[in-house]
Amino acid sequence: MLNAIIPLLLDSLASAALIFFAAVGLTLVFSVLRVLNVAHGSLYSIGGYVAASICLFIASRQLNPYLSFAALLFSAVFVAAIFGPLIERGLVRWTYGKSEAVQILITFGLFLILEDLQRVIFGVQSFYEDAPMRLLGTTSIGGVVYLNYQILLIGMALLVVIGLRLLINHTRLGRLITAVVTDREMAQSIGIDTNRIFILAFSLGVFLAALGGALATPTSGIAPGLGADTMVLAFAVAAIGGLGQIEGAAVASLIVGLARVLAIYLAPSLDAVAPYAAMLAVLLFRPYGLFGSVTARRI
Amino acid sequence: MRTIPAAIAVLMLAVLPIAAPWLQFVLTLAIAKGFAALGVAVLLRAGLISIGHAMFFAASAYGVAFLARAGINDLGLLLILSVLAGALAGAVAGSFLVRYRAIFFAMLNLAVSMVFYALCAKLYGVTGGTDGMPVPVPAVFGIVFAEPVFKSVLFYLSLALMVLVGLAVQRYLNSPLGHALSAVNTNEIRLEYLGIPVWAVLLIAYVISAALAGLGGAIAGFAIGRVVPDFAFWTASGHLVLIAVLGGIGGVPGAFIGALFLELLHSAAVTVTDSWNLIVGMTLIIVIMFMPQGVYGLFARKEASSL
Amino acid sequence: MAFKGISIVVARCLSSLELLFGLHRGLSQANLRLVADGLAGALAIGVAAATPAAAQEKPGSLGLGIFTFTSGPAAAYGMPGKNAADLIIEEINAKGGIEGVPVRATYVDEAQGAQGVIAEYRRLAADAQNQVMVAALSSANCLALAPLAEQLEVPTVGWNCDTHQLLIDGKRKYVFRPNGNTVPEFIAYAIYLLDRKPDVKTVAIINPDYAFGHDAAKIFTAALKALKPDVEIVAELYPKLGSPNYQTEISRLATARPDVVFSNLWGADLENFVRQAAPRGIFTSSQVILALGETVLQRVPLPDGVIVGVLGDGWWMSPDAKANPETAKFAERYKARFGEYPVFPSIKMANTLIYVKAAYKAAMQKNGGKWPTRAELADAMKGSKVATLTGTAQTRADNDGLVDQIIGVTVKTPAQQFPVIGDMVRYRGDSLMPQAGQDPLAWISTLKPEFAKSLPKPGSYK
Repeated sequence: MLNAIIPLLLDSLASAALIFFAAVGLTLVFSVLRVLNVAHGSLYSIGGYVAASICLFIASRQLNPYLSFAALLFSAVFVAAIFGPLIERGLVRWTYGKSEAVQILITFGLFLILEDLQRVIFGVQSFYEDAPMRLLGTTSIGGVVYLNYQILLIGMALLVVIGLRLLINHTRLGRLITAVVTDREMAQSIGIDTNRIFILAFSLGVFLAALGGALATPTSGIAPGLGADTMVLAFAVAAIGGLGQIEGAAVASLIVGLARVLAIYLAPSLDAVAPYAAMLAVLLFRPYGLFGSVTARRI
Repeated sequence: MRTIPAAIAVLMLAVLPIAAPWLQFVLTLAIAKGFAALGVAVLLRAGLISIGHAMFFAASAYGVAFLARAGINDLGLLLILSVLAGALAGAVAGSFLVRYRAIFFAMLNLAVSMVFYALCAKLYGVTGGTDGMPVPVPAVFGIVFAEPVFKSVLFYLSLALMVLVGLAVQRYLNSPLGHALSAVNTNEIRLEYLGIPVWAVLLIAYVISAALAGLGGAIAGFAIGRVVPDFAFWTASGHLVLIAVLGGIGGVPGAFIGALFLELLHSAAVTVTDSWNLIVGMTLIIVIMFMPQGVYGLFARKEASSL
Repeated sequence: MAFKGISIVVARCLSSLELLFGLHRGLSQANLRLVADGLAGALAIGVAAATPAAAQEKPGSLGLGIFTFTSGPAAAYGMPGKNAADLIIEEINAKGGIEGVPVRATYVDEAQGAQGVIAEYRRLAADAQNQVMVAALSSANCLALAPLAEQLEVPTVGWNCDTHQLLIDGKRKYVFRPNGNTVPEFIAYAIYLLDRKPDVKTVAIINPDYAFGHDAAKIFTAALKALKPDVEIVAELYPKLGSPNYQTEISRLATARPDVVFSNLWGADLENFVRQAAPRGIFTSSQVILALGETVLQRVPLPDGVIVGVLGDGWWMSPDAKANPETAKFAERYKARFGEYPVFPSIKMANTLIYVKAAYKAAMQKNGGKWPTRAELADAMKGSKVATLTGTAQTRADNDGLVDQIIGVTVKTPAQQFPVIGDMVRYRGDSLMPQAGQDPLAWISTLKPEFAKSLPKPGSYK
């Protein structure tokens, strides 16, 4: 019995980690900027493409393969540094204070553009680079062989949850962000440079999206269409956890991961339905998500 | 005064396929999507953005396929029943969705539509999975036409429906019920103080918009001859919103103009470039930033206030 | 006002087109003309449509609509097809074209979905210059296009289209598939498996979630059960087409501990699955069958002993292919141009174009050297027997194709850097096909173990 449960739990955790990385940036950006970034999934896949390209370059030059771990992190920083300020200054800023419809449509337009740009730049063939995964080897748990990289990812996800919490609760930047989230006008009036906070927070969101994509490359291929699929999954997780709730996203990732894995083990025909069914089930009873709170209606 | 140019435009559409027969399919599809975008536009009036309306589009097309499989083979009956199916789905989903606003409304619509999408794609035994289901050529008042003739019948029927339904929706939007939608957008609480049940106003709008999407879906199903789960994918819903905004949500013709514009541009662009989405994405951003009234707003600015 | 609107829309259409042309100067003249034709037709009301094919006169060029995936995960399978088409058409044109008429191909990306594919098909078919459609790769698109081909009376040759449902009613006049279909392809794997591993008890299946995956699972299972009734299917997984990550599925396969893992994943999905499954020991704990394994031999280091095949006879290194100088030349040119040897989708496409060329020759012989109409061309395809790069493509009376099936296992060879196929068998195409009009699954269930005994054994094809 235990032998059956251990792989199930481990698989749930491993897929929850991947899902969490896809969603956490989306929810962070929403909590600070109040903008639902529909292009989030594209930034995730761009992170993956960049990471795979750098890793392939490292492999082709026969540099130290352990550099590819640094490459995963570097590619996320790289994507965030380029796209974060560019998108926030160029497009998203323009939608502050506009209706949700405008925000969603502008970022949807951006999504369409980024999806095609990726095709133009990286082509249509699937990208794959598994050096980091091979370097770490495997472990047999409960009679099933797991990649040590999968276990590393679980740890990384935990680190990100704790890191973000520490950042927000215990650093100056975090307090500034909290101030802006709580009351934007008040924060502005006491002299906080909200513009800077917005750029930083948005770039942090882009970083997390790109990091998710980069960390996923060693165990899964990157191909056109990944952005769109990631996007809905991120939506689902963010909605279940409550938009803007980081711990909520973590718990929601666990729920979605478990739902998917249970489906694959017990009812394989329902695996693609499981995440959305979980989302619907939660939202029916808690429409603002597990950790979300009702916002006041304007009068 | 406005009816004459409108009539000429419809007439032009009617003769276009005689000059370029392959265009007939493109135009039929454009009108079908125009219906769905009109549905989205109705809700946009109330400030509600639905990234899930492709579900009703798909639900009705699947409805046609299932009814045809069950042996119903009359175009009129199939259209009516499938639109009813779309409306029914709208009533069920709407009854709990219209309680939410803003981003939550958008996300819940997305959630419901993705469950629907995943079910259609996964229930291989029932829906044919991602291969979809065939939509056969139905009889029209008992007459079974050859397929090319049927496609023409379908096109002119869609054209006629576009005019009739368009006028009906226009009337609805100009009725107190329609004006209440804009009032929801500007100040919902005040509407409640006036004793108008916001919930009912929105549910009616939601059902109407679902029925419109359903009508579009049924036409698209007949035109394509096949219905696949991709009809309901979230990017399809996104495109419907895009069409509505591109055309301009100011008036009924906006949705159809947006759809025609997009489909014609698409069929011209696919032969020269693969980067079709790039063009659409940029167009969308430019239209939203610089032409908030949409393409329709370009030449309807004067009338915009009267709508 | 709406009138003004339409004219604005049209004007914008035109101006954006100009913009596009400006951006795409490298574009072939053919495409430009197509668009120009289309728009001229669309906009100049009152201009009568071009009268279709008054035939008989040789046209200036022969238009082919070629449908394949050039984007998305399926492009890993579709692009080798397009590459092969480019090469073969170049070759044909270098020799003066088909019966003296140069060939001009218009490619359509199937990744745009059924709506777009149908719209493109209609548009291409409306141009009388486009005489033949080579459509399509995906079974779903083939099924959607088949009724259209019949209505518009355009000869349509499926270059891949594996589903056995395509021609099952035997009434098609214009739809052809000079290939095998899912029935012989997957019965062949069941027979080969039982020959190689007669004691197999448990089987797990992981196939893509659409008709091809489900049909293959059904046929493979039915054939196994008919030939060895005590075989048990312990897991059946159907991940979504284009899934990038199979880790959970791999755990599920590992916990089921089957003797055999069967898969007809393809394209990027197959590459992803192999790369993820290999380090996790699936290939050592179970006998793996990759029905489309040949496509990844050059890209992924497959271990020895994996049962792989080519869904047909289209392996460029098979004894028959090696004996054909044309094939060897094609393979080398392909390698020189695209950096990889052709995979079986390339061969399938090349063979299909050879088939079309042969049909023109036959049709012109039949009507005394005049350029054939679309109907005459379709007529010439029926019942034809064409020598291809790798064997013969025979077309039955119901338009279905008969092609041999090659299966083997991966082995290392000093001659190549990548594993090749060894211990091969070549089943005759007609030996694994039910008669025309017979229900395939019912036919499979009547198979007896003796049937398998009468067929050639692994290693017999050298």
